Amino acid sequence: MTDKTILTVDNLALSYGSNPILKGVSMQLRRGEVVSLLGPSGSGKTTLLRAVAGLEQPHHGSVSIAGRAIYDAAAGIDIPAEKRELGLVFQSYALWPHKTVFDNVAYPLKLRKVADNEIVQRVHAALKNLGLDHLAERYPHQLSGGQQQRVSIARALVYNPPVILLDEPLSNLDAKMREEARAWLRNLIVEMQLSALVVTHDQSEAMAMSDRILLLNGGVIEQQGTPTEMYGQPQTYFVADFMGSNNIMAGRIGDIRGGTARIDLENGLSLWGLRRTNAAIGQEAKAVIRVEQTLLAEGPGEHRTEIDLATSMFLGDRFEYVFHAGADLLRAWGKGHEAAGKRWLEFPPDAVWVF
Amino acid sequence: MLETLPRRVVVALLALSVFFPIGLVLYQSILSGPFFMPAARLSLESFVFIFDDPDFWMAARNTIAVAVGMSLIAIPLGAILAFIMVRTDLPGRKWLETPIMIPIFVSPVVLGFGYVVSLGPVGFFSVWFESLFGGVPWNIYSLASIIVIAGLTHVPHVYLYSSSALRNLGSDVEEAARLSGASPFRVARDVSIPMVSPALLYVGVLVFFLGFEIFGLPLILGDPEGHLVLTTYLYKLTNKLGTPSYHLMAAVATCIIAVTFPLVLLQRALLKNAQRFVSMKGKSARQRPLALGPWKWVAFAVILAWLFITVVVPVSGIALRSVVSSWGQGVNLLEVLTLDHFHAVFEEATMIRAIVNSILIGTLGGALAVGGYLAIGLATHRKNDGLSRFVDYIVLTPRAVPGLMAGLAVFWVFLFVPFLAPLRSTLFSVWFAYAVVWLAYGMRLIQSALMQVGPELEEAGRLVGASRPRVSRDITVPLIRNGLLGAWLLIFMIFEREYSTGVYLLSPGTEVIGAQIVSLWASGAVDVVAALSLINMALVGIGLAVALRFGVKLHD
Repeated sequence: MTDKTILTVDNLALSYGSNPILKGVSMQLRRGEVVSLLGPSGSGKTTLLRAVAGLEQPHHGSVSIAGRAIYDAAAGIDIPAEKRELGLVFQSYALWPHKTVFDNVAYPLKLRKVADNEIVQRVHAALKNLGLDHLAERYPHQLSGGQQQRVSIARALVYNPPVILLDEPLSNLDAKMREEARAWLRNLIVEMQLSALVVTHDQSEAMAMSDRILLLNGGVIEQQGTPTEMYGQPQTYFVADFMGSNNIMAGRIGDIRGGTARIDLENGLSLWGLRRTNAAIGQEAKAVIRVEQTLLAEGPGEHRTEIDLATSMFLGDRFEYVFHAGADLLRAWGKGHEAAGKRWLEFPPDAVWVF
Repeated sequence: MLETLPRRVVVALLALSVFFPIGLVLYQSILSGPFFMPAARLSLESFVFIFDDPDFWMAARNTIAVAVGMSLIAIPLGAILAFIMVRTDLPGRKWLETPIMIPIFVSPVVLGFGYVVSLGPVGFFSVWFESLFGGVPWNIYSLASIIVIAGLTHVPHVYLYSSSALRNLGSDVEEAARLSGASPFRVARDVSIPMVSPALLYVGVLVFFLGFEIFGLPLILGDPEGHLVLTTYLYKLTNKLGTPSYHLMAAVATCIIAVTFPLVLLQRALLKNAQRFVSMKGKSARQRPLALGPWKWVAFAVILAWLFITVVVPVSGIALRSVVSSWGQGVNLLEVLTLDHFHAVFEEATMIRAIVNSILIGTLGGALAVGGYLAIGLATHRKNDGLSRFVDYIVLTPRAVPGLMAGLAVFWVFLFVPFLAPLRSTLFSVWFAYAVVWLAYGMRLIQSALMQVGPELEEAGRLVGASRPRVSRDITVPLIRNGLLGAWLLIFMIFEREYSTGVYLLSPGTEVIGAQIVSLWASGAVDVVAALSLINMALVGIGLAVALRFGVKLHD
């Protein structure tokens, strides 16, 4: 643990009744860093965030902020949510409908007994920072979804919490606004040098927004690392499958040579790839290759296979080709339209993972 | 500690308010005499006495007949009414929604009185009918009449629950059946009705249970021919032995609770089940009403006829009775018009006190009760621990005790707890009894308001630094302002309507209109009863008008 660490979660466990949700999660957040908690629904990512916030009751482990323990099962420490000094931006924004924008943002300062004139000053500064200054007297229902989100962020930042927690911050925006908001939010976090913990179920959102990603699966951290590590070097099948768009094929190990293995697939193909499994020759395994690494080739060659193109789909910025390989549908991307028929497809061995 | 202490105080006060009076009834039932008599000892002789009394068994048989009979009438009618109102193109559906609810808000004792003056042997409608047809085919004082009237006046209860279940039923499940090839009637039979059947089962148990509680109707309609039910049997016991026969009354009360308490628990279990069904609803898009064709006029006529019998007949009877000096065969009503009854009411201090007290208990008392319910609601809000579950059961308990007996128990408490005794002849004792009797109802209003508040709005308050009490004050309570106003208006109407709870608490200073009517009826002061009944209905009507003006939903 260095001085730069602002949030430390150590071996945190939490259950709903007899149903374990978090099974011992440890993580750290450094000052000025954005970490995403990524995972499918039910993986425990939101529960972890809420446990850090003090809204869920863990039964084991510890959480500390800037060296101060806010939860420690062994020491019997459990600081209530309102004393943790954290900022949380809710998925639904949770703006108080009976208070104006100004009053929503002012409330945390009022609770801290800040002088009235200072409140006015700080709230306006916070609103201005987020481009909301002209909306101060409005009520939340008079705002658009994006504006509501900004108010929610202003409210969470106005008392300068050491860490800001964001629960699915973009999921309530429509698809088009989401990409813009993503860039805006990342920019805001970097500019204000915030330390942020973000929950998301969207892998591209996680990669775009964060310095590091923690991928949770069934209440444990499956893998953590920078977005490029997570995407480029998945350690398990789950991570490979969760990140990115993939062609996944089942088969048996046919040959092993050091760090590489040949997998004989049920669809009749045979591929060489990076070996990420301890399975011996003859045992079941899976081959995973990113769709963008599956290449349409001009003609025969090494690591190329002739295969049936069923159809091409236009996606706007590219075409997607759908191939028949036995019972599997394989996908690849390219620039132009391709007519149905036999094609050569290349599977570069350093892009194929054998799990 | 600072947070848990007020919470524990609230729960402790609540438990004491509920369990002490009921415990007193149960304890009294196993004593040989009134519990304040030194000679009283533990004994089952009170049970032996009532079990030996043929009247008790007659009352028990009648009670079961009433409960079963009114269920058989109210449930099918209420369910059909709900289906017609929610799912068909009945003309004037919007307009009918409020009148349908009226029987719930009219005091049963007023209703019973209304039937006597309208359909009794010399009632307005009877006389008129007799002059047209030469005789009346009905006898308002028979047990069958009591059952029919009880059944018809409980149709709105069934309507309430089945219509809200039908509304909650997503139209997509019905549309799916339509697209699979089912006709509208097949859809109703195979999809809609099976899906609301848990609600129907719940309301069936509820109506059956209410059958054990009814007091006002059998008190007034059953008296002339001596048809007793358990509650009226209990009431008559008051003076059966000449001395206060508290132990006998407690024994009867215990017998009633032995039936009603399991029914309340059953209702709770069924309600949970019904809600589970509803929670599977799909999206409730606007659905196209089922076209009834020419049948819609038949349905319309049937509903109007029902409203005529349950609302127009008794209410118009009372209104007319309160402004005539005599009634019956050969009396020209226009010649006997008078305001004397109202003068009589306003000249007597007792009556004025009764009216003022009724208004006070509805407005101020209603607000206090809502405040108390809110305190209980906040004490258990978003806290799913043992204490909250305990409160759940406490709240349910008074539901099993009919108002008459709850009033009696509270009377005992105020009579014999030394430091409470001075409060007995103040309105506080009546308010306390009302608040306990309607605890479950009030808590449902408060809890459904609290449920509307998104948990994240409160969590956001916690996160930015507000303690739990602060969150309640600054966020939760302001957000449910409208719900609280609605609860207050509904409690006002319920408190105005209430009559049985105040019966045993009636003393100089604690008069309320409902209990006053019961007492005056026994003394035969029909003129004054008519005037008071009309005033009572007017008060409820004002509450109803204000509630409708503010858009308060009359049900959840």
